[in-house]
Amino acid sequence: MISAPRPDEDTDTEPPDVPGFRTWRAVYLFVFGWFLLIVVLLTLFTAMYA
Amino acid sequence: MNVADWIVLVASLVGIAAYGSWRTRHVRLSTYLRGESSAGWGTIGLSVMATQASAITYLSIPGQGFESGIGFVQNYFGLPLALIIVCAVFLPMYRRLNVYTAYQFLGERFDDKTRLLGAGLFMLQRGLAAGVTIYAPAIIISTVLGWRLDFVIVATGLLVIIYTVTGGSEAVALTQRWQMAVIAGGMVMALILLILRLPDGLGFTGSVAAAGALGKLHAVDFSLDPSRRYTVWTGLFGGLFLSLSYFGTDQSQVQRYIGAASLREGRLGLMFNAILKIPMQFVILMLGALLFVFYQFAPHPVFFNRTEWARHAEDSRFRAIETNHAEALAQTRSAIAAWTQARTSDDPARQASARAAMVAANDRAQAIRAEARDALLAADPRAKTKDSDYVFVTFIVTQLPHGVVGLLIAALFAAALSSKASELAALGTTTTIDFWRRFRPLGAADEARNMRVARRFTAVWGIFAVAFALFAGFAENLIEAINILGSIFYGVLLGLFLVAFFLRRVGGSAVFVAAIAAQMLVIVMYFSLDIGYLWYNLIGCAACVVLSLALQAILPRRGARREP
Repeated sequence: MISAPRPDEDTDTEPPDVPGFRTWRAVYLFVFGWFLLIVVLLTLFTAMYA
Repeated sequence: MNVADWIVLVASLVGIAAYGSWRTRHVRLSTYLRGESSAGWGTIGLSVMATQASAITYLSIPGQGFESGIGFVQNYFGLPLALIIVCAVFLPMYRRLNVYTAYQFLGERFDDKTRLLGAGLFMLQRGLAAGVTIYAPAIIISTVLGWRLDFVIVATGLLVIIYTVTGGSEAVALTQRWQMAVIAGGMVMALILLILRLPDGLGFTGSVAAAGALGKLHAVDFSLDPSRRYTVWTGLFGGLFLSLSYFGTDQSQVQRYIGAASLREGRLGLMFNAILKIPMQFVILMLGALLFVFYQFAPHPVFFNRTEWARHAEDSRFRAIETNHAEALAQTRSAIAAWTQARTSDDPARQASARAAMVAANDRAQAIRAEARDALLAADPRAKTKDSDYVFVTFIVTQLPHGVVGLLIAALFAAALSSKASELAALGTTTTIDFWRRFRPLGAADEARNMRVARRFTAVWGIFAVAFALFAGFAENLIEAINILGSIFYGVLLGLFLVAFFLRRVGGSAVFVAAIAAQMLVIVMYFSLDIGYLWYNLIGCAACVVLSLALQAILPRRGARREP
């Protein structure tokens, strides 16, 4: 059994209401960029110490 | 442990459980099954994090850093990408359909038989794993502290059953916030005390440099060599695949975020994990690498599972190994000191020579540890030779002050309870919603009866988990066996959801037959091939997707209700 659907929630056009971000796509790009930065920093860390 | 440790341990664990039970004693059915409808992103984020990190995580990962270095961090590289996909695709669909379980979505997208298949695969895999999440930390903690194993299993099992049965998903989320506070407080305290206890001549930066020189800080490996266990590529592809299965289709995680106050809160809770997970694992692995340096200067046993060692180490061969290990450690200490002095000189040749001597001395010490494991196996082929899980807990009970020991042991138990509670709530909810309501449709309208049934199923799963954990000691390599079982079923489960989300033209009958065939294929391959079991995740998923497309091409589309 499923409760009444919540059709008003399923859109990506709704702003994320996060300072500095207008769309969810921008939030996802930020998280992806953060991930890339972490990988770069870990690579530099490896080059420095390993 | 002294009185202060016991007070911290019992007060934090029982206090949190009692608080959770009391606050959620009058919850409504929807809140019981899905959590508080006003839950914000912080609660969701902590709950998702607490569910994923079990006690064995906090015991094993420092041990991994100690034994093999921090390269294990690459295993989490696929996680942020998987969470972005879950946020963009899975979560909006679950929210739009307002489901209690992920498998209801399969019923909406395909048909009831596919829904039952998905729920059944989850229950089979998670139900079998349920005993291990109690047993695995209990065996380590009881061994080190000298407590009775059955007492630890029953005590932790009863505690988690009481508050999970009382308040369901809401009690799980409520207690996880406080349990995460205990875990974070304990781990930060352990890290600070470890850094303060690092050898005087080395300090923090010198210890990091020494760990690096001894091969413990190789965080990233871009090698394409398939024989390497942890590389960027295995982490990206394998990690993406496993994380997508876990966060997108495992009800113990789905239940944590579908009940958020809004789609925004659920998404931000998952993004919170996407941002924090890799740095958090890096810090825990670094703790293990620094423990390695610390133990070059602090007395420690040649084999950290001292109970297992004492059980077999009776003859002169074992005494000789202990003596050789102590001598090798003394040589390593001298070599590290010489290298530290050489680092301050401007002579590259002297630095290289000192570093080579230090690495050689450490290799000798490691060879003696390997010899100790071989000696244990020779004395008893069934001896447990993996002692890295015992390194961190040995540090806790032998090096930290009273009170902090209680806090750290409480943190380990809090981690066990938080992940266990999510599993029990998810199993109880899935059994109630996907099976009991399916076969007792008339009972669905009676909220009080639904509540009683959900509580009973949650209790039954809890009792099953405790009973399984009590008898787990009879099986060798149990944890690996459960991981293998998970890999055998996870792939097909993810395949079902990927077809549901991305292959809109495939109907219920095609995907159902394809999933059964893919599952049989995986089982046959498991018994006839000798490949790493993690590959079965990929094989099961790919087989399910490809067979679904092939069958849809030859079968008339029946059974699909509607395209959500």
